[in-house]
Amino acid sequence: MKSLKKFLVLLLSVFMVLGLAGCSGKGEESGSKGIDNMKNVKIGVLVADATGAEALAFRSYYENYIQKQYNVTFMYSDELADAAAESSAIDNFIANNCKAIISFASADRPAQIRKCAENKVYYAVATGTLSDDEYAEFKDNEYYVGAIGPDLYTEFQAGYNMAKYYLDQGKTKFAIFGGATPYYVDMHIYRTAGMLVAMCEAGNGDYNGAKDFGSMIGTIYGMNCQLTPAQIGSVELVSYVGGYDFDDAWFGKLAEAANNPNVEVLLAVGSGLDTFAAFKRPDQALGTVDSYTADAVKAMEAGTLNYLAGKFSASIGPIFMATVSAVQGKPIRTANGEALALSQGYWVATSAEEANNYFTVDSSTTDPAYTKAMLDKLYGASYDDFAKFVGAYSYEEIQNLKK
Amino acid sequence: MSKGKRLAGTLAIPVIACIVTNVICLAKGVPMFETGLNWLTFVRAIANVSLVTYALSINLNSGRFDFSVGSIALLASVLSASISVKYGLHPAVMLVLSLLFGLILGFISGLIYITVKLPPMIVSLGVALLYEGIAYTLTGGHGVSFVNNKELLGFASVPNYLLIIVIALVCVVVIFDHTTFGYDYKALISGQRVAVNTGINEKKNALICYTIAGGLMGVQGFISATTTGSIQMALNFGSIAPMFMAFLPMFIGGYIGRYSNDKLGYLLGAVSMAFVSMLYVRLMVNSSVQQVVSALLLVGFLIFLNNEGRIKGLLHPKHEN
Repeated sequence: MKSLKKFLVLLLSVFMVLGLAGCSGKGEESGSKGIDNMKNVKIGVLVADATGAEALAFRSYYENYIQKQYNVTFMYSDELADAAAESSAIDNFIANNCKAIISFASADRPAQIRKCAENKVYYAVATGTLSDDEYAEFKDNEYYVGAIGPDLYTEFQAGYNMAKYYLDQGKTKFAIFGGATPYYVDMHIYRTAGMLVAMCEAGNGDYNGAKDFGSMIGTIYGMNCQLTPAQIGSVELVSYVGGYDFDDAWFGKLAEAANNPNVEVLLAVGSGLDTFAAFKRPDQALGTVDSYTADAVKAMEAGTLNYLAGKFSASIGPIFMATVSAVQGKPIRTANGEALALSQGYWVATSAEEANNYFTVDSSTTDPAYTKAMLDKLYGASYDDFAKFVGAYSYEEIQNLKK
Repeated sequence: MSKGKRLAGTLAIPVIACIVTNVICLAKGVPMFETGLNWLTFVRAIANVSLVTYALSINLNSGRFDFSVGSIALLASVLSASISVKYGLHPAVMLVLSLLFGLILGFISGLIYITVKLPPMIVSLGVALLYEGIAYTLTGGHGVSFVNNKELLGFASVPNYLLIIVIALVCVVVIFDHTTFGYDYKALISGQRVAVNTGINEKKNALICYTIAGGLMGVQGFISATTTGSIQMALNFGSIAPMFMAFLPMFIGGYIGRYSNDKLGYLLGAVSMAFVSMLYVRLMVNSSVQQVVSALLLVGFLIFLNNEGRIKGLLHPKHEN
């Protein structure tokens, strides 16, 4: 009987040891090879725009794809109008035990980062970048994950490429919708500057004395971001409308600009379909920076829209993975331990077919541009691998990455 | 008051607005009305502003501040545009649908007000959020776009807008000046307790006011939607903005109303503001300058109204002696 008891104790001990070894092995595997899906990660998302097509596409990617693939919960803020609202939303996220915050709101990014760091909550910027000064201040902060999105030079290039597309076709008479340029929104200022520099180059002229990247930005700020029409060498900026007033005068100004028989091309830094499209004459071309929506595709098919530069919704996938990596103790930092600061550009469609291809991928909730299989490779990745992945953002490069 | 004085009092502000804006335009070498598009912009501005002014003034004159008018325009146009685009309906049908949805939404707004018995400002803020939320949910936040639908966009024409302006004016004048409801409405404005004691049902009257205001905003929503071919969503009171365009015309209308009919006054207030809008359009005035000028006009007119006696005294010192 005694020997039977000893045998049973020995047997149980062996099972226990084996069991523990098995358990520890499982844990190691989940920790070293992939995202830990056992623990739910709650992430707060700050948004300044809850109704724009681009904002809705981003939200759909997180909620209808990412949230279904990973054990994460996204908690969205209301539409945040100012820094005080951002601060209040962060308080709410912290109270709700969010471990990280991904921000689309930019009223006061330094304040957002400081607040998150004070509360040991990770913070990442989606679709944007910090200014050089801001990056210098926060790059070493362990709670600042980083930023991925079009930097200001990419924005400049987006405007430049759009104007150049038409200038190369021999067009010389333009109207520009400057969007939020009068409100000192850098993104729109830089796109407008890009358009004007392209016109200066093609027309061999200058815009109020400016003709290159640096001087054009300075000139726009010097004009208090209130631009005016001008002859730019052999090219003419016939008309310019800025702001989002949505009153009768604003609609009238858009109609005046678009319906001017001297204007050949209408360029919009954003919202081209909501501003110029209804007023344009059939023989005019329209180019805009916007997102890939069913309406945009229809407009391209109808010939209402001819050039569309848009962010793809899955572009916010890598910053999600960098954030989760940081939360789970595998931060992705540069060799010097600094936060991410990576630029990502636009998908450009100049035909309805291209736009439709982009829209099909961009709106898919089962096979988006960045799938789970692709994002999984980024978990705890080296900075170089991560940067290489983010840098290959064109439609074709992403399709190749999928293979 | 003599007919001449009444006519002068009625037309003074729009005529001054017309002369001043045209002189500024001509001084800049830009004629105010050069193309058909200029007339279209002018008449559309009159239609938009007059409709919002009627809608806002109906309840405001009775002490009910209604923040929900913009959200009614938003939701009514979302509903009518969605149906019209889906079934390929004619713009006239979309206009009727906008009117009907506006009437229904206004009725619901009024029903909530008389049921919950909270201050109208609070109720209208709640209704604005509710309607904004419904519009957002119905469209998935994307709004409605029909920029390629030339038939619906083709509604935008001077005769169509003029027709709307005339019909709206006739309707509000007949309803508020020539019906029992209108007499009751005025009696309630003059003294609610006395009016109620004489047997006027103030709840029914308020309900009809909200319904009519809703219908007017439904039509305004239709005009806005068919201007650009897109309806953008508004959240967190984003739909309130359109009502601010009605304040100055409403004050102007109140002033003109002393010399003639206040509804005609609102229309002439809208005409005055349309001249100012055209000035901004023709000179491509940037939005910041525009906002400053508009604010100065509003404040200036309020200062004038509050100091009218003193100003008249300064202009005609003999009367004081």
